[in-house]
Amino acid sequence: MNETAIRFENFYYGYINGNVVLHNVNVDIGKGSFTVISGPSGAGKTTLCKAMVGIIPYYYGGRYAGNVEVLGETTKGKRVSDLSMRVGLMLDDYESQLVSLTAGEEVAFGLLNHGFAPNEVEARTKQALADVGLPGRENYQLDELSGGQRQRLLLASVLAVHPEVLVLDEPVSAMDPDGAHALYKLLYKIYQEYQMTVVVVEHNINFLLPYATNMVVMNKGKVAAQGTFEQAAAMAYEVPELRPNLPELWQIKLNLEKRFNIKLGAWRKAEDAIKELQGKFVGGELR
Amino acid sequence: MIEAKAVNFAYHRGEPVINDISCKVENGEFVALLGHNGSGKTTLSRLFMALLHPRSGEVLVDGVNIENLEPADLAHQVGYVFQNPDLQILEDTVFAEVAYGPRCKKKSETAVKEQVDAALEAMGLSDLADAYPRTLSFGQKRRLGVAAALALSPQTLILDEITNGQDEQEKNNMMAYLERLNQEKGITIILITHDMNIAREYARRAIVLQNGDLVFDGTTADLYDGKRELSEWGLSQPIIATLSARFSVEGQTAAEFCEKLHLKEGAIG
Amino acid sequence: MKITAFTQLITVLAVTAWVFLLPVPVVATILVLELALLLYIKHDRLTMAAIGALTVFTGMMILLQLLFGSPLRVSLAGGLRMFVMTTAFLCLLAATKIQDIAQALVEKFHLPCEYAFMLTTALRFVPDFLTDSATTLDAQSCRGYSNRGNIFKRLYSYLAVVKPLVMRAVAKSDTLALSMELKGFGANTYQNMCPQKLGIVDYVVLLIVIVLSTYPLWSKYL
Repeated sequence: MNETAIRFENFYYGYINGNVVLHNVNVDIGKGSFTVISGPSGAGKTTLCKAMVGIIPYYYGGRYAGNVEVLGETTKGKRVSDLSMRVGLMLDDYESQLVSLTAGEEVAFGLLNHGFAPNEVEARTKQALADVGLPGRENYQLDELSGGQRQRLLLASVLAVHPEVLVLDEPVSAMDPDGAHALYKLLYKIYQEYQMTVVVVEHNINFLLPYATNMVVMNKGKVAAQGTFEQAAAMAYEVPELRPNLPELWQIKLNLEKRFNIKLGAWRKAEDAIKELQGKFVGGELR
Repeated sequence: MIEAKAVNFAYHRGEPVINDISCKVENGEFVALLGHNGSGKTTLSRLFMALLHPRSGEVLVDGVNIENLEPADLAHQVGYVFQNPDLQILEDTVFAEVAYGPRCKKKSETAVKEQVDAALEAMGLSDLADAYPRTLSFGQKRRLGVAAALALSPQTLILDEITNGQDEQEKNNMMAYLERLNQEKGITIILITHDMNIAREYARRAIVLQNGDLVFDGTTADLYDGKRELSEWGLSQPIIATLSARFSVEGQTAAEFCEKLHLKEGAIG
Repeated sequence: MKITAFTQLITVLAVTAWVFLLPVPVVATILVLELALLLYIKHDRLTMAAIGALTVFTGMMILLQLLFGSPLRVSLAGGLRMFVMTTAFLCLLAATKIQDIAQALVEKFHLPCEYAFMLTTALRFVPDFLTDSATTLDAQSCRGYSNRGNIFKRLYSYLAVVKPLVMRAVAKSDTLALSMELKGFGANTYQNMCPQKLGIVDYVVLLIVIVLSTYPLWSKYL
């Protein structure tokens, strides 16, 4: 991952009537990576997402310093709607991001606004709906779709403009585990098929363990750890208050590596962990 | 004490959602109500609160059939806390918000103050009594929802996905308060949740629903012994439970599990 | 028989003018035609309920006029006019998609796109708010708010619980506005949609409308 998709340089931000929520943030998100942004509530993760599309600081206003670069260009002076053609953003209140009455109109909305010809709009709408597993549902009214389907519709409308980067802010916070797994599986499939860069803010990193290549851990508005998933997890483990947010498998791995001064595998699945642990350890009370 | 006796329920003319369920929750219990999406766990909890009424069978609260009652009638005995705190915040201060319940019941202001202070103290919100509720963090708002239900001094609290969408610290924080309520004040907790770790760590009893049927009613120790195939019921086994079972040790958390492990002879160093 | 939203809008506006220009028997005939049309397009419970509510409202209006001393004929004529105008709007809503109406308003009537889009937004979020209001009432119910009592008491209590809904609406509208900005909403939105072309049927209907609207001018020659 030599090229950078999104770069934050010495970025500070404070909302108009509020405190500074991002302090000296330096983040590099590599092109083609699948990056998890994690950290406790209030760490600034949502603010970071919004800064990737220029909403912060340009749409909301407020105090800022430093620079945000998206695909090589600064976000300063750019229209939010133009940036969103290259960086697709899905906020956690996905209901309020759906503005139209039917599925087809929702996907077509952004395309029409950017001047795509009607037949191109039709073709892209069809493709986007098929990609998210809602083929042929152009005429479905919004209230005919379940919560999970509505979220996939939003994903389709974001994908239709063919962005290079996808940013999702806590997409599964209101979902049950099955729904969450299904959404991330779909996301990974799209990530691979279209060779996109994906950034996901997620509390429960367990869901993303099979997919994440990189991780950024935020804490109180600062970057606490960053790098490949392995590197960032190890760094985060050293900070006791950040430890509980790591996947349990990795809490175990890093605990044992430290205690016994050994190296264990970079487990992405429970089975891998169990296999290696059973090969090397036995259980029992401390003598 | 809440009891369901051969309860059946379906929405309007739809498919049955609760099939002949019987169960009883005694005072002082800490129960996790579990099940896949659409299993009927939320519906069952609403039947307990008279938000819905069964097609057949009975729901009894403290021995009384609640078929002719509405939730307001039960508020002194059962508190129901919804998942989204934003949908119920009415007042301009935390105090007034928690006082809403007692004031609806026309209590005297002294009684109201007493009950509100007790509820705020129980949920760690005493310092925020004068704060504007919408400036609270999400975790604090959730606790506000619980305090609001507590203000009427119910014996039982039913909580719908109360830890959903929160980070680990907030989850543990909320659960610690609930545990305290259960252990120090004897309040019955019925927790509807998807989170297997929380259920395993805090609840002592689990009721599992699947497609409207009751498929398990027993201790959480039994449910999470690490040997059951929970995926049959649309649930997942918590990873620590699986690992603990494989190594025949006891461990609630990752750290506890690790303490019980030792390197095998000849393992690579 | 496809009539564009534009033609329908013109017809509705014309009907609104006709109720004052044309004699009462003609207006009554229009009402009968409208009701027949409405029930032909949509005869579900909602439509019947709407007609029922309108009838009641018209009745109340007539009574009110009588109370203020208007003669019976005038009161009845006034009520009839109102009924015809509102039924015309009901027909419009039943016959056309709100998206098409919004598009016609922007294209032909030069309404600013934000106002036109409000029509679609309203329809989009009304079901969501109904669900939210049901949840809010449930939550307050569980805290001791009783739904019993006469209709006025219930309405009054209901007002008290409306506040969380309003707050939520405000928060949602923030996200909605942001969303619209992200998707590039603006003048382009309606410009780039497939234009609604007028067909033969449209011209025929428009001709009839013009003829009927100029009744005062040529009626003297009958």
